[in-house]
Parts: sequence; C-alpha cells; structure tokens
Amino acid sequence: MSTDVIVTQNISKTYGKPPLQVFALRETNLRIKQGDYIAIIGPSGSGKSTLMNLLGCLDKPSSGKIYIDGKDISLLDENELARIRREKIGFIFQKYNLIPTLNALENVELSMGFAGVDSQLRTANAKKLLEMVELSKRMTHKPSEMSGGEQQRVAIARALANNPSIILADEPTGNVDTKSGDNIMNILEEVNRRGETIIVVTHNLAIAKRAKRVLQIQDGVVKEDVFGYQDQMVKNTYV
Amino acid sequence: MFSDHIKLAIKNLRHRLSRSLLTLLGIAIGIMAIISLMGLGEGMQQAITGELSSLSDVVIVSTGGGFISSFGGGGSSGEYFTDRDIADVERTQGVRDVSTQLSSTAYAEYNAKRTIVSLTGMDVLVIGLQYSTSELEAGEFLGENDQNKIMIGYGIAHETFDADISVGGRIEINGQKFFVSGIFAKQGMSGFSSDTLILMNSRDFKKLTGQSNISTIYFRVNNVNEVESIAATVQDAINENHGQKDFATATTMTSVLETVQSIIGILQLVLVAIASIALVVASIGIMNTMLTSVMERTREIGIMKAIGATNKDIMSIFIIEGMLVSSIGGILGVVLGVFGSQALTLILNNFMMMGGNSAGLSPIITLFSVVLAVTVSLLVGVLSSLYPAWKAARMSPIEAVRYE
Repeated sequence: MSTDVIVTQNISKTYGKPPLQVFALRETNLRIKQGDYIAIIGPSGSGKSTLMNLLGCLDKPSSGKIYIDGKDISLLDENELARIRREKIGFIFQKYNLIPTLNALENVELSMGFAGVDSQLRTANAKKLLEMVELSKRMTHKPSEMSGGEQQRVAIARALANNPSIILADEPTGNVDTKSGDNIMNILEEVNRRGETIIVVTHNLAIAKRAKRVLQIQDGVVKEDVFGYQDQMVKNTYV
Repeated sequence: MFSDHIKLAIKNLRHRLSRSLLTLLGIAIGIMAIISLMGLGEGMQQAITGELSSLSDVVIVSTGGGFISSFGGGGSSGEYFTDRDIADVERTQGVRDVSTQLSSTAYAEYNAKRTIVSLTGMDVLVIGLQYSTSELEAGEFLGENDQNKIMIGYGIAHETFDADISVGGRIEINGQKFFVSGIFAKQGMSGFSSDTLILMNSRDFKKLTGQSNISTIYFRVNNVNEVESIAATVQDAINENHGQKDFATATTMTSVLETVQSIIGILQLVLVAIASIALVVASIGIMNTMLTSVMERTREIGIMKAIGATNKDIMSIFIIEGMLVSSIGGILGVVLGVFGSQALTLILNNFMMMGGNSAGLSPIITLFSVVLAVTVSLLVGVLSSLYPAWKAARMSPIEAVRYE
C-alpha cells in the first residue's frame, strides 16, 4: 500500500493584514500519495504557484500544517527546509532555470553537490540521467547552446538527481513547442511509472488530462477531480 | 562541497572576466603600494642601521645639547671641555683612541673673496675614523705629518667662492696659507653635513687660532658590550668636573641607532598608512562589484536555493569569489610591488644623486611583508564580500526565482 508523501491540513496563505487581507490559498486539505500523478490547473492568479511553493518548501503557510513524508515542515528552520528541498523534492520550472555558467552535466551535478554526494558518483549519476533524457551528446553544452526542449530535459535530469520522492513541475511545457512538450511529458510519465510522485501545474488542459488526478484552483480554493476521474488511488483522497 | 563552491566561484568570475580583472587590479595596486613602500622603508632602515652599527664601539661626548650639536660645530653652550675632562676620559677603564674635535670660526680668502667660515680641528686619526674614503670627491686624507693642509667640503670647494677650488688649491685662513689636500663629495640632505667643512689637524688649528676649544670628545671602547656603561661613566665624570648635571652628553651609536630606527619606524608606518588608502578603495571596489553580481544573479541564487543550497552554501560561494579576486590581486600586487620598489629606489637614488649623495639605497622585500600583504588581501576579500554574500544568502527563493 502506498503511503502519503504530502499531507496538508487547513493550509492558508495570506498576504497583508485584515481588513485588507488577501487569501492566495484558503484552508486547503490535500493528501498526496507516493506514486501519484497530479495536475493542478487554474487561471493565472488563482493560487497555483502559491500551492506549488508551499508543497515545494520554498515558502511556509500562514496557517495550517504541511507534512512531507510525515514530517511537519512548519517546524523546520531554513537549513532543514533546504535539506528537504534537496533530498525529497525535484523542481522543474517553466523557464528551465538552469545555471547559465554551467554546462548540462554540471547543472545536473549541482544539487548532488549541495547534498554532499561524492564527485565521482555524482558525475556517473548525472551522465546516467542525461542519457535517460536523451542528451548524452549535449553534456558539455551550456544552456545558451541548447534549445528550450533540451534545456527542460536537463532540468528534469537535475530534478531527479537526488532521487527525490516528489517532482514539482511548474508549467514544464509552457515554453516549448508541442512536440518537445509531448516528449517532456512522456519522460515525466516514465518517471512516474517508476514510482515517483509527479505534480504538474499547467493551464494546458491536454497536459492536465494525462494526469491520474486533477486539482483545480480558483480564487485560492482547491477542487478535486474536475474531469471525473475515478482512479483507485484518488478515492481515498479528499479536498 | 567546498571544492564545488570554489569551482562555482571560478566559473562566475570567468563569466564576468573583464569586471573581475578590473576589480582584481584595484587590489593589486593597493598591495603593490604597500609592498613597495614597505620594501623601501626596510631598505632604508637596513642601510642606516648597517652604517651606524659599524661604529658601534664609538662614543661621542659633546657639550650641552647632545649628538646633533657635536657635528654642527659644537660649543653651543659656550663652554668647552677642559684638559681635566680629557684626562678623566683617558683614565677610564676600557677606553681607547681618545681624540677631540676643535671648533672655531675664521676668515677665509680665495680668489679675492673673503668670507667667514667655521673651522674644525681634529686629530688625523679621528678624521680617518669619522670619514671614509668613499666620501671623497677628490684628493686624499690628511696625513700624520702634513702641515698647513686642509680638507674642505663640497660647498666650500664649489659654492662659497666665485671660483671652484680644486685639490692643491690655496686658501688663506686668517691670513695664513693652507693647501687643499682633499675635497669631500656633496652630502646634500644627509644629516651630518660636511659641505661647509674646513678640516685641519689639531696642531694647525691651535697654532692658527690660539684656541683649544674642545667641543667634542671621541673615543672607542675595547668591549662593545660595555659601550653604554662606559659612556655613562664618562658623562658622569665630566658633569662632576663642571658641577653641572647636563654639561656633557655621551652618545653611543646604539642610542643613535635606536632613535633613528624609531624615526624610520614611524616613517614606515606613515608610508604604509598612505598605501592602505589604496587598499580601502580597492575593497570598496570589490564590494561594489559583488553587490552588482548578487543583483544580476538573483535568479541564479533562487534556483540554487530551490534545488537545495543552504544559506551557508550561497554565502560561501560569494565569499570565495571575493577571496579569489583579492588573493589573486594580492599575489599580483606582491609581484608588481617587487618591481615597483625597484623603480621607486631608482628614482629616489637618482634624486639623491642630483643632490650629490652617493647613497645606494636598495629595497628589501621581507617575507613578513609578503605574508602580511597576502593575508591582508585575503582579509579584504572576505570583509568586503561579507555584506554582498549575506544579502545573497538572505534572498527568498520564491522571489529570486520569480525575478526577471
């Protein structure tokens, strides 16, 4: 039986103080299991990115609790949050966000470096990951020498580098053409099939439909299962 | 991990190569200034120390004001040493080669021009002790049996009278004829000026002036280690003879050495302080460059944090960058400083040469100054990158990733 990787209890994110308080996210309860493949959809400004940042430990909720692998992250300090990000979470951004001064291999190695992985092991691992995303011939290329699709695949390899339990992808296909986008989603799904939890934020419904479970956000409120999927794993979850 | 930080820092510096080089140059110039001025100061110190310590067994006893007046013609207090004083000095244990310097003024005439000059009488032995042959411009020292011969300073030879005086030339002093046997080279700015000196042996001096006004007594000691205590004994004895507490001052080269060293020490400090201004400016340069770099790399910092870099990682990357720039700059500065001090001495020596001083000053770069310079530059690198690094580390990853 799969276990919960992320559980949120009544998390809210607010900006400002009452009466001018703005809710970016309102009392959200989520239960995300190991191996889930979730799409989060919603118009811009709906709170998608806020939710992503909270799930990715980049930000702390204004109220409520977030458990990652059973650990309450609201109690953690910045260094411990950095450790969670390093070990349990892999980020994929819309704009790839590779380090421009480093080549593909070095970019993938970087987060392993922060995790203190031995340099030989790191290089071997990074090469393997780049082979997986079919970039073995581009390893020494800098981001500026690669296409958008290629850069995003490097970003996927980087996200997988520390063997995280959760992959958070924020509009991963937003800046690439349809074919590359399809390719990227195929890779992510392959990763999911191996047991990785994938959470994709998108406003592309075609992409969202590929997920096993879809959450919709509107004005900071999360609604479950907008497409009426009845996946086995989804049944036990609630909003 | 640390080596990764270094690698990242190097990559970043290379990415902004021209900016890094310019920042580095700032530090290099600062360190160059410090190294070359310290080298020059050290050279000066050693040159003077070396010269003085060769005279470490010499004691100079002068009336009144002390050491400086003994070379300025003496007798400033209007009183002179007596024969009894000299006898006391000679009786003192451990003393040898006692001699005296006599001073007076006289009329000198050459080429139909008459002027007042100051006259110095010394034992021939003392002349050899006091001056070295390298200080001669022309001619030779007075010999033991020479009569009516004088040695003159550069000023007397070339400036005092309308025409130059050369070796063998004849000057009338108080109506008596003297022949020039040696001419001293120009002393210029150096402290113990002999430019206006007219030097004759004590016998001639007494015969000419009828005076035996002893303004200075010189002697040597047998044992250099006793030089201070003997000087004190002699000084006390003479003071007792005159019933005055401060009639005479016995000066040893050790005490002169100490004074000179402390003066040079202060001079060195001032030089280094001035050079440090350049370093301060350079460190502001580093900070400025780093702050710009932090701004530019806001997004990059956010990414690194998102993929797991701790605040410490970020700080250390930026501090290493600062240290790399400043230490490479520091090493370059040391190299430039070695050349710089050579150039500086060349200029200074030329300048003094124009003043007629043959002093061959050479800079001395000590290991201490090199270590100090490199340490200081490293420190400057750390200190000036601390604030930018802290600013970078404190950045929120969300804002940073969102930053365009």
